[in-house]
Amino acid sequence: MALLQIAEPGQSGKPHERKFAVGIDLGTTNSLVATVRSGKSDTLPDENGEHLLPSAVRYTPTETIVGKAAREAAVEDPHNTIISVKRLMGRGVEDLKLLGEQLPYEFVESETSVPRIKTVAGDKSAVEVSADILKALKKRGEETLGDELVGAVITVPAYFDDAQRQATKDAARLADLNVLRLLNEPTAAAVAYGLDSGQEGVVAIYDLGGGTFDISILRLNKGVFEVMATGGDSALGGDDFDHAIAEWIMQQAKISNDQLDASRSRLLLQKACEAKEALADAESVDITIDLDEQQTWYGSLNRDTLNELIDPLIGKTLLSCRRALRDAEVDKDEIIDVVMVGGSTRSLRVREKVGEFFECEPLVSIDPDKVVAIGAAIQANALAGNDPDGEMLLLDVIPLSLGIETMGGLTEKIIHRNTPIPVSRAQEFTTYKDGQTAMAVHVVQGERELVDDNRSLARFELRGFPPKVAGALRIRVTFQVDADGLLSVSAMEETSGVEASVEVKPSYGLSDGEIESMLKASMEHARDDIEARSLREQQVEAARVIEALDSALAEDGDALLSDEEKQVILAARDALVQSKDMATTSQQVKDAIAAVEKASAAYVAKRMNSSVQSTMAGHKVEEFKTESED
Amino acid sequence: MSDDLFAQNYFEIFGLPVSVDIDVAAMSASYHELQKKYHPDRFANGDEQQSRLAMQATSLINSAFETLKSPLSRAQYLLKLKGVDTSTETDTTMDGAFLMEQMELRESLENVRQQADPLSTLDKMASDLKKQMKQLMNQFQQSYENNELEAARESIRKMQFILKAQNEVKQISEQLEDEML
Repeated sequence: MALLQIAEPGQSGKPHERKFAVGIDLGTTNSLVATVRSGKSDTLPDENGEHLLPSAVRYTPTETIVGKAAREAAVEDPHNTIISVKRLMGRGVEDLKLLGEQLPYEFVESETSVPRIKTVAGDKSAVEVSADILKALKKRGEETLGDELVGAVITVPAYFDDAQRQATKDAARLADLNVLRLLNEPTAAAVAYGLDSGQEGVVAIYDLGGGTFDISILRLNKGVFEVMATGGDSALGGDDFDHAIAEWIMQQAKISNDQLDASRSRLLLQKACEAKEALADAESVDITIDLDEQQTWYGSLNRDTLNELIDPLIGKTLLSCRRALRDAEVDKDEIIDVVMVGGSTRSLRVREKVGEFFECEPLVSIDPDKVVAIGAAIQANALAGNDPDGEMLLLDVIPLSLGIETMGGLTEKIIHRNTPIPVSRAQEFTTYKDGQTAMAVHVVQGERELVDDNRSLARFELRGFPPKVAGALRIRVTFQVDADGLLSVSAMEETSGVEASVEVKPSYGLSDGEIESMLKASMEHARDDIEARSLREQQVEAARVIEALDSALAEDGDALLSDEEKQVILAARDALVQSKDMATTSQQVKDAIAAVEKASAAYVAKRMNSSVQSTMAGHKVEEFKTESED
Repeated sequence: MSDDLFAQNYFEIFGLPVSVDIDVAAMSASYHELQKKYHPDRFANGDEQQSRLAMQATSLINSAFETLKSPLSRAQYLLKLKGVDTSTETDTTMDGAFLMEQMELRESLENVRQQADPLSTLDKMASDLKKQMKQLMNQFQQSYENNELEAARESIRKMQFILKAQNEVKQISEQLEDEML
């Protein structure tokens, strides 16, 4: 009879009904996956005990390598190794120049404005590269939890615009991950901090990562995490510190831009990053750069010079802080804690400047790398329905105003920044020409007055109005922003009640058709992957069978088998050895294993008999009987 | 999910009396309760219709909250409930003294950059505007409570001017701060 199962207090009484959901921090430099187990949220390590997965992907003709091994190849194979891909998410070809860095990739001309990187494994968009990182994290989650995931909460910088959010969601779709929610990184950090510290009141989350900066002001009150204002820069982070240092090295060592190929510029950035990290502990650090085969440059960078290089960048973040405080209508002295999040807040200078600005000591006691993923996992667990009585609720805002283009290229704001989401606003339009049956709407995001200074999100065409005189029609366009911060638009002609069709042309996103074809390609690819893996598994199995057979034959082959019987087994064994090394499909190896098993079946039976006899020798039957009834 | 929500006015949604002065703390508490009930995160396992309803409900709750939170938009909403739409004002006839004041303010705003300490001048302007806004709000309250809707409307029109000026002061302050860094 089975024993009654009694659950520990706080544990789910029905473990098999638990739905596994993960939180994923898809970072510029590193990514993490976390989940809630036994009521505790934790990041998941890989088989080597590493929690951080470097957000690097290397493409070879046969393989996609994600993580540490890929990052290590960044200098050696710069064109096929993609790092910091998050900076390219939701960006157009013309934006790449504005990112202020020399990217080592070769971009291919494409029909859409989505840039594609030429690699030996084909052209890759940022969405596909991100999907490969997500796949690796998904696999880690499933292997650790031993079950399929019902979904994931994926974090994004709070300051990500609609195109960047949409790109992140597309990447998840390509990775076959069900997105429960896109969660703003500082909000995720606030959840982890709030639940851990039990603090209530107004907090500021200062989140400086590898490539993005966010500041969020939240009010924590009885499990409600209410974002009052958010601000930031989705193209500012520790990477920019590295670039500033690299430029300084180039000036000092008199290296000109045309001396730099992709590989050397990667090397330079790597040296810059190492110097930055060393200066966290040391007052000064030596740097050596091989200029060519004969010459080497020796230099040293001290903290004062580093501070001069990065102060302007830190200054930009403080400007965003000032703005967020003003938008939140909060005074500095109302803030109970300034929580430091993101790897770049390890910089002593950043801590010093943030402390000066907020006039308080920033909180640096939580792990700045893991806190976002941990918070995301808590939200994922709640959304998966594992915490039905939970009080937790996250109320977020839209980071940038949404508007439309009006006459003269001006922006008319429809939804202002820091409005709580979900939100919907309707705007009425009318026709300006007799017989007009269609209308074009250009949606932009940003704070600037001129449309061209803001981010173009999409162009909509409204069609199918009944022809009337100018001004007789009233077209009501509804802008809906959902809880993920994503925009959708619907339109209705009010005098006739006709629903106008909305045709969306995302300015920087992938169309549904493109995503479909990528999905198809990746599914075919996945089939190849599955077959390759299964072949490897069969080869391992074959090696195991051969080894077991050899050791058995050595032990008692001559005692139990006739020469003839032994020859049959050895022939099958040799065939398997050959198949193991030569086979191209897993089935071939499987068949050869089966042949060995068949040929040796009688031998195995004899061995079992002889071993049972020797084990049982000297024992009474009763002893075995009680054991078997247990 | 009840659809009563959609039949209620913004004050009713939060269980508040329809009035110029509101209990902001009570509204916040009620806002959180409603969010806990209707937020899409509560229906993450629900079907598509449920999540759409949740999104519509919270969109409405958020609009109501934003509208009532700011005194000016709350005042406009009060007039809207009385059938007076102030969202698309085309009537610009106003008392001359007020307009003169506004024009002077605009001029000093244009010249603020030439001042020795522009940021503190801007801070002074901001606090003056805040006072003015408060006075106008009191005027509005009197007119509204006496059911003098035309006078109430006039106060709102003035407050819209003040709000514009406030936004401009804020914008110039932000620009100056940008340049100083």
